[in-house]
Amino acid sequence: MQYLVSVIDDGQADAVDSDTPASSAEQAAIDVFNEQMQTDGYWVFAGGLGRPVGATVVDNRGETPIVTDGPFVESKEFLAGLWIIEAPDLDVALRLAHGASKACNRKIEVRPFLQV
Amino acid sequence: MVATLARRFGDLGIAEEAASEAFTIAVERWPVDRVPPNPGGWLTTTASRKAIDLIRRENKRANKHREAMMMIDDEPLQPLGAIDDDRLRLIFTCCHPALAMEARVALTLRMLGGLTVAEIARALLVEETAVARRITRAKVKIREAGIPFRVPSSGDLSERVSGVLAVLFLVFNEGYLATGPDTDPIRDSLTAEAIRLARLIRELMPEDGEVAGLLAMMLLIEARRRARLSASGELVTIDEQDRGAWSRALITEGHSLVRERLNSGELPGRYQILAAINAVHTSALDGRDTDWSQVVALYDQLVWLDPSPVVALNRAIAVAEVDGPDVALAEVDCLGAALDTYHSFHATRADLLRRLGRGREAYEAYDRAIEHSGNTAETAYLIRRRDQLVD
Repeated sequence: MQYLVSVIDDGQADAVDSDTPASSAEQAAIDVFNEQMQTDGYWVFAGGLGRPVGATVVDNRGETPIVTDGPFVESKEFLAGLWIIEAPDLDVALRLAHGASKACNRKIEVRPFLQV
Repeated sequence: MVATLARRFGDLGIAEEAASEAFTIAVERWPVDRVPPNPGGWLTTTASRKAIDLIRRENKRANKHREAMMMIDDEPLQPLGAIDDDRLRLIFTCCHPALAMEARVALTLRMLGGLTVAEIARALLVEETAVARRITRAKVKIREAGIPFRVPSSGDLSERVSGVLAVLFLVFNEGYLATGPDTDPIRDSLTAEAIRLARLIRELMPEDGEVAGLLAMMLLIEARRRARLSASGELVTIDEQDRGAWSRALITEGHSLVRERLNSGELPGRYQILAAINAVHTSALDGRDTDWSQVVALYDQLVWLDPSPVVALNRAIAVAEVDGPDVALAEVDCLGAALDTYHSFHATRADLLRRLGRGREAYEAYDRAIEHSGNTAETAYLIRRRDQLVD
């Protein structure tokens, strides 16, 4: 099964005094974690996201497209990055999420992709 | 059987539906065709066929279908061990930490306890529709999130077992002292169900010390059940209970489990310590013979494992018997901030104040205890105690 492992920022990015939302220590720990995931065969994809201020929402369901500046929900917590992992079941996915949370120093949400 | 089918087909909903269809067929046919020589095997085979039908009908699980066909080819009679393993897997699935505690309790009572939705609704004091929704939602999550039908790996096992035991402890506690005013104060069916499930887990995991500990603790508490309510429906405290009404059989069984754990030489976990405390209480033929310093020593061990205010409160109750109510009261008063809405905190304070002759303060403490107690038998006891105060 594939799982989306979302990284939830609840204040960490604000604490970093630079352009990147993750501190260099966090980034280094994430690199080590990613290498291990690749070695173990769980890794499908990983990426960090820029701050929500850089988001743009597009809605083209109507006659004319509506483009809005900013994220679709303003909240203190926001999606800071994600992994996609391949794991046999939720037990394995949760174990990996424990490591992911430690590495990136943030909360993690684990959610299965729809199985087709 | 549901456990076996769930493991085989990887889906709780299909397992339940197939099992119930098989039973329906049995009810129709057996009176006409006679009961087959191996009724259990017949049911499992029939249910497996039904499950495959159901999967075919769903028509979207090609893999599951193939697996099912492979498994039905030659239907060997399941040795008992395999069925036990399936029940164990089912327990771990129902008590999975990724499910909300409420969902775990409902699912465990439904899938393992075999209680109906209506019975669970009464047990948990919630609407039937809410229970049904909880169970359905949990099943969807199990399926969609890939919660496995598997005994956890050794690395996770002790943590996961403690999760299962927490569910049983919760069910037992609600039976032991019901929290709400709208049910019987002691709910035998819940304590009995918790003990039944604990016995099952004990059979499946005989080596686990905490499983033995929880079962022993439950047995030693259940042994006193008949003595815990007075004729007028008041809770009777342990020092005032008629010890002749205690169940010797349950006490013997509980003590033997506690001895087994002591002889293992392993460090005890919290349930084993709680069992040992209950063993000390049930060893005294007269309340005055209780070895309270042993009880304090066991609570010291428990505090070290679990430094929560509730444990500290229970320890203080034992301290009162060893060092006197004044020492105990000083300890209890330190817990006020954390336990201000806990009925037992105020009831304990009230009793200590009463023994110290501080009637006016005791009266106020009883009032607070009554205010926070939901259990009718406990409330009746507290009111009588309060009204007997002379200052």
